[in-house]
Amino acid sequence: MIYKREQLADNIGYTAIVDKKFKTDVLSVKFITDLCPETNAENSIAVGTLATSNMKYKTLAELTSKLASLYGSSVYADVKKRGDIQVLSVGASWLDNAYALENEDITSEMLEIVSDCIFRPNADGESFDEASFNIRKNDLLDKIDAEINNKRGYAVSQAFETAFRGEPAEYSCYGKRAQAEASTSASAYKAYLELLKNAQIEIFFVSPQENNSVKEKLAAEFAVIERSAPKTYRFTSNSKAKAAAEYAEEKLDVNQSKMVLVFKSDNEDKEALKLMSTIYGETPFSKLFANVREKLSLCYYCASGYINSKNALSVDSGVETVNIEKAKEEILNQLEEIKKGNFEQSDIDNSLMSLDNALTAVGDVPSSYIGWYFGRFCEGDSASPEEIAEKYRAVTKERIIEAAKSLVLDTVYVMSPKEDK
Amino acid sequence: MEKRIIKSQQTGDSCIYVKHPSGLDIYICEMEGFSTTEALFGTKYGSINTMFKTNADTEYTTVPEGIAHFLEHKLFENEDCDVFELYAKTGASANAFTSFDKTCYLFSCSKNYKESLEILLTFVQEPYFTQESVDKEQGIIGQEIKMCDDNPEWRVFFNLLSCLYEKHPVKIDIAGTVESIAKIDAPLLYKCYDTFYNLNNMVLAVAGNVKADEILEICDKCLKPCEDKGLETVFPEEPDSIVKSECVEIQPVGTPLFNIGYKCSARKGYDNLKASMEAYVAAGLIADPSTELYQQLLSEGLINSGFGYEVFNGDGYFTLIFSGESSDAYKVRDAISQKIEEAKINGCDREHFERLKKANYGSLVRELNNVEAVANLMINSSMEGVEPYDTIKVLSEMTYDDVMNYMKNELSPEKLAISIVKGEA
Repeated sequence: MIYKREQLADNIGYTAIVDKKFKTDVLSVKFITDLCPETNAENSIAVGTLATSNMKYKTLAELTSKLASLYGSSVYADVKKRGDIQVLSVGASWLDNAYALENEDITSEMLEIVSDCIFRPNADGESFDEASFNIRKNDLLDKIDAEINNKRGYAVSQAFETAFRGEPAEYSCYGKRAQAEASTSASAYKAYLELLKNAQIEIFFVSPQENNSVKEKLAAEFAVIERSAPKTYRFTSNSKAKAAAEYAEEKLDVNQSKMVLVFKSDNEDKEALKLMSTIYGETPFSKLFANVREKLSLCYYCASGYINSKNALSVDSGVETVNIEKAKEEILNQLEEIKKGNFEQSDIDNSLMSLDNALTAVGDVPSSYIGWYFGRFCEGDSASPEEIAEKYRAVTKERIIEAAKSLVLDTVYVMSPKEDK
Repeated sequence: MEKRIIKSQQTGDSCIYVKHPSGLDIYICEMEGFSTTEALFGTKYGSINTMFKTNADTEYTTVPEGIAHFLEHKLFENEDCDVFELYAKTGASANAFTSFDKTCYLFSCSKNYKESLEILLTFVQEPYFTQESVDKEQGIIGQEIKMCDDNPEWRVFFNLLSCLYEKHPVKIDIAGTVESIAKIDAPLLYKCYDTFYNLNNMVLAVAGNVKADEILEICDKCLKPCEDKGLETVFPEEPDSIVKSECVEIQPVGTPLFNIGYKCSARKGYDNLKASMEAYVAAGLIADPSTELYQQLLSEGLINSGFGYEVFNGDGYFTLIFSGESSDAYKVRDAISQKIEEAKINGCDREHFERLKKANYGSLVRELNNVEAVANLMINSSMEGVEPYDTIKVLSEMTYDDVMNYMKNELSPEKLAISIVKGEA
């Protein structure tokens, strides 16, 4: 594997990853900006519209037909939240030229299509094409409305809203319904121009062989954009724990209750916090799974996750209503046990093996490479999975105990049935 | 021991097939350059297999709904410890799943694959159930059933199956019901285990950073030879007609969901694969994002980009399903049905057909680039009675007339049903 990162311009980074085992090429152009209630929805619609049409393929139908003829290539838009940051991506993936049945140059054609989508969208200079814009606006409205359809995800997002109130991370990366409703093809186009001018941009390209044409093409395209002065974004921003944990409860017409706990930490030892979370609740042999689910049968699922960008830890669980209090007590009890050092070297070794397994797997999927190196970019380095595995291996039991001790319960969110079920 | 190499004429990819003396079918794909290994050890036993007999039985045995899934949960406990504790020492990420027609135990790892494979082959062959552990599991699975009841996508799908299938057990939730799993006890679990977890009824698929010889050595060491007991599974006779044309359920959802399904003729083996590809391409000709119908529904706000279609098929069932979110799913159903009827008379765009063939070829080749996908491809095709690269072969041989004939013969408005999950008005 070859990894190479370079600056195309101020605030525009380009990372090329070459791995000959792949049969596909994957490109991702990421626009990084602040999470902001006034712009989240507008930005989401704008980037979504870019992946719908362009000046050459003016409708979704035309673009889809062309992509199908290129062996089912895809162009997509994606919006994510990372701490206090909104990350908007326009991506594409296509079959490498070596697998074309009629010797087509798929890569060149796809590069043209993606460039046209990003730099020459179907717009008149002031507004996006109304039809393309409306597809993405309606999609976003439905996505916002449908958040409640996935009860587990909804419970976690509600807990985060309470935990990070007053911080950008409180907001959904998709924005609020009212903002999405108020968006017009002109305002979304303006948001697109703002992103092109002001956002930090990170580009990733994974391919089976070296190909400079992607870098050269995108560098030339960005060179003619008038970019504003570089701005520094904070990819990690710790959140201060509340003086007393806040309890939020919601009654819905559901059969199974959900409980989400959010803890916050001011300890900067991130490797220790991640390893502690792995021991606590990230595997089927973790303390939460073994005790809360298997031994005491209090939850169907009960798992922890470390949120690096906010230096916080969440525990989410699916629990019978009658067991909510008992489950909470046991979740907190298991954390206390780690704080007291009541865990074995084998717990550390096994968790390290699990982390090592996940880290080694990064290089087997093109999108995982992109996720990994974008994550490292946000951390301010370009460490390989093996280098990070080495850092985990250096974590001592004492550091794990200190990490656990630093966690303060900030939020408890419970979703329960309207009536006893 | 029968051993042969299976090769795709279209892409050049290959894997190894071995008929092991124990009775097990083994598929191995060595994938150069990849770090991970994915292994699946599965039995042709899923939620639909509730009625069966072997050579030793005179009568068919009927078992409670959800027992295959229950058995999957229980196999993760052996006499000494939980299986996850064993995997913890190798670093592998282990899991299992039960579907309608199979139960698979799997792991993925980037190191120590030989040790993990030994764990996999050993624990699946060593059941250990006690009434106490069965009672405890009833509580855990009861919670899983409740969780699925809160999942609108799950509900809209099963409600559709209940509209389409009168007798076939495919309409029953894979986990069963709280009432049905209450009837499960340890002797019944052993009966099902002994019947279905016979190596002659099972498949092992391993892909990724592996060596075939090393895998076969572990198989020789761990597999316990099984006598083929002549397993027969039967299903109640399912009529061609559907049960009812619609079902609406109220749930707390933000956007209403729908599944629209055509009940089609169930087939087996290569015929089933061919039919599934024809049905999938037919759906693309009618409603992929490049079609007039899709554009019309989208511009009228009747669908969003989540709209899609899939073929859902197995032993005794075959359905083409269109799904998505809509404020008026009935209009979506009517538009799809009308477009299919028009296509039967007027035909479809032949260039569109060729584009769909190319797009599907690209998807299949991309699948061969992923360790997990390759392992799944090998086990799924084996259990469906075809070879791993047959899908690409079927696609390359498929003609426009094949697809149009499928549409004319199988997509009948009388066999169309709609399922909707929506919020309270």
